[in-house]
Amino acid sequence: MVALEVKNISKSFGNLKAVDNASFSVPKGSIFGLLGRNGAGKTTTIRMMMNIYMPDSGEVFYEGIKAGPDFNSKVGYLPEERGLYKKMKVLETLLFFAEIKGKKGKNVTRLAKEYLKKFDLADRMNSKIETLSKGNQQKVQFISTLLHDPEVLILDELFSGLDPINTNIMKNVILELKEKGKIILFSTHVMSFAEKMCDHIAIIDSGEIKLNGSLAEIKAQHSQRNISLNYKGDISFLKNNPMIETIADYGNSVGIRVKEEKNIQELLKLLIENNIEVKKFDANDISLEEIFINTVGSETAEEVKND
Amino acid sequence: MINYRVIALIKRELREKLLSKAFILMTVLLPVFMFGIFGVQAFIMSFDSEKSVVEIITESPTISEKLSNIIDESSFVQDSTIIPRIHFMGKIKFDDFFKKSEKDLLSENIAGIIYIPNTALEDKKIEYYSKTPKNRRLLNRIDNPINRVLVDEYFRAKNIPVAELEYASMSVDISSYKISEGEDIKEEGYGGLVLSYLLSFLLYISLLMMGSMVMQSVIQEKSNRIVEVLLSSVTSKELMIGKILGAAITGVFQMAIWLAPVIVVASTSWFMLPENLVFDITFLQVAYLLFNFFLGLLIFVGLFATVGSIFEDPQDAQSGMWPVMMLIMIPFFITMSMMENPTNPVANIASMFPFAAIIVMPAKMAMVDVPLWQVIVSTLVNILTVFAIFPVAGKIYRVGIMMTGKKPSWMEVIKWLKYKY
Repeated sequence: MVALEVKNISKSFGNLKAVDNASFSVPKGSIFGLLGRNGAGKTTTIRMMMNIYMPDSGEVFYEGIKAGPDFNSKVGYLPEERGLYKKMKVLETLLFFAEIKGKKGKNVTRLAKEYLKKFDLADRMNSKIETLSKGNQQKVQFISTLLHDPEVLILDELFSGLDPINTNIMKNVILELKEKGKIILFSTHVMSFAEKMCDHIAIIDSGEIKLNGSLAEIKAQHSQRNISLNYKGDISFLKNNPMIETIADYGNSVGIRVKEEKNIQELLKLLIENNIEVKKFDANDISLEEIFINTVGSETAEEVKND
Repeated sequence: MINYRVIALIKRELREKLLSKAFILMTVLLPVFMFGIFGVQAFIMSFDSEKSVVEIITESPTISEKLSNIIDESSFVQDSTIIPRIHFMGKIKFDDFFKKSEKDLLSENIAGIIYIPNTALEDKKIEYYSKTPKNRRLLNRIDNPINRVLVDEYFRAKNIPVAELEYASMSVDISSYKISEGEDIKEEGYGGLVLSYLLSFLLYISLLMMGSMVMQSVIQEKSNRIVEVLLSSVTSKELMIGKILGAAITGVFQMAIWLAPVIVVASTSWFMLPENLVFDITFLQVAYLLFNFFLGLLIFVGLFATVGSIFEDPQDAQSGMWPVMMLIMIPFFITMSMMENPTNPVANIASMFPFAAIIVMPAKMAMVDVPLWQVIVSTLVNILTVFAIFPVAGKIYRVGIMMTGKKPSWMEVIKWLKYKY
């Protein structure tokens, strides 16, 4: 079930095309990772989803309805560049951010205090924000994105600037929220987090979505074309074979990348026909980082060729 | 337009502003400061005439004697701000005396020497020697008695009765009457003028203060990146409305505090003002003043917020706010010129001109009777100004608050108006 859908959005700043016809969809109850290098267009995409930037073209839908102020009040948004009122007190800050989302009253206050306890900030409730450490300020900001019980969480570079302990707390909270059926979208350029947490991903580069879908499927697709081979014999006949994309010799084993999925069985057949003693034939489990570098890197190479 | 989001924003603004030290200090200190200025002025004045010794030399002994009699009765001698020493001596002796006294004049042991020759009885020409001959304060006090003695002497020889002489030497006493429609003719003092001065000063200070407060807060939100969090919950329009209304309510509240003593003085007899300082102000006028001020805040705070949204650095903003400052300062100076002549045609136009009307009209009302239609036109102009500037200001604000990086030029800001946002 698609819950959140981004359809063909574009945004230019002067001559710079920040986001170019980007589309992707986030299924219900999933964690979605928007991956890209710095300046790839992640933040611009997210800002357009939040109506902070108006897209030059394209639309965002939530549960089939065009996103507007109503959608915004259902979202908890954590921008990449964090900001709080320095002179306001912690609890006051939390209640204010909940109030502009339309939530106030005793229950909100109680929930705020619960969250503060969870994040080890209960004793700082009446401290001014400016007296808090940077890490604690981040926690307050994170709580402020959760307090109004949003249906969707949009977190831009969630883990930037967090120490390992806080990173872990955040991770657990996010997984808890997923259990509760919330939709979570976060952007990052740290692939190891994305690999561990995301169900779905989109890779964006130079404003274009290069890859988009379920992480398991994408991995399956990419790994299916990657073979790790141990053998005895001469495989030089493979070098000019049209179904082979690359061959990399690692000494003990050879990494072969075929052009299409169906070539794998043909390759195995070919090896046996040529009397190669196949000791190990493994469709590798490729890492997200490799997929990312392959996707973004190959395009960059193509750009260079075109120039 | 006003929804729960805007109300939450206004509440936050009010909490931040009303409870800020700056606001409390300013509300209390401004009146103290204003009275302080009057006090200091009076204090300095009391210093300045600290015992000036003046030598008054006459050629004729009769003039000398008469002058002594009159001057001894004068208030400035009794409170000893001026100590006159009156002698008579001939021209030659005076030249000697002058040479001897030159040192004392230069060291200011003597403030001045006045020489009244006998020829003064024909041409009223007397001489004054001093290190600071332009000290009008001293001369203004002393020339009247001298004139009286000279006039007296001149006419005495012509056998004119004393009563007539007294009439001739009396100065004119002008009583001013203000004529208003439907009211009795009243003798007018300086009350209207003082009130008018007070109102324009308060308006000027308050608009500038509220304006720059909001500007700082917009810059702060922008440079702290809070604005992005806010914009994920509220639209830029709501944010702008919340900020401006927050500041406008704060401003009107402050003005009401400042005006409260004025209303109390005008509507009760608890405080007796000196007769020539009495002024008239009705509750309706106060209501008008506050409403007019509210419109003024909407306009100018809106402009200041717009300027704030363009810049990220408070210092850049200081240099960028001069066009808005001019819109407040020029009307303020027009008001000041109106104090000299309340029917000044420039002031008349300004009192119904966009931006200027806010500041000029209240001051004008305090001094002259303004026809109702002019008040209505002025108010309509102000309301129209609000509606005219907000689409433009809102657009600049919308683009500006999310624009970071280098300081934009005015040309770029104009281009923003064409952006799709």
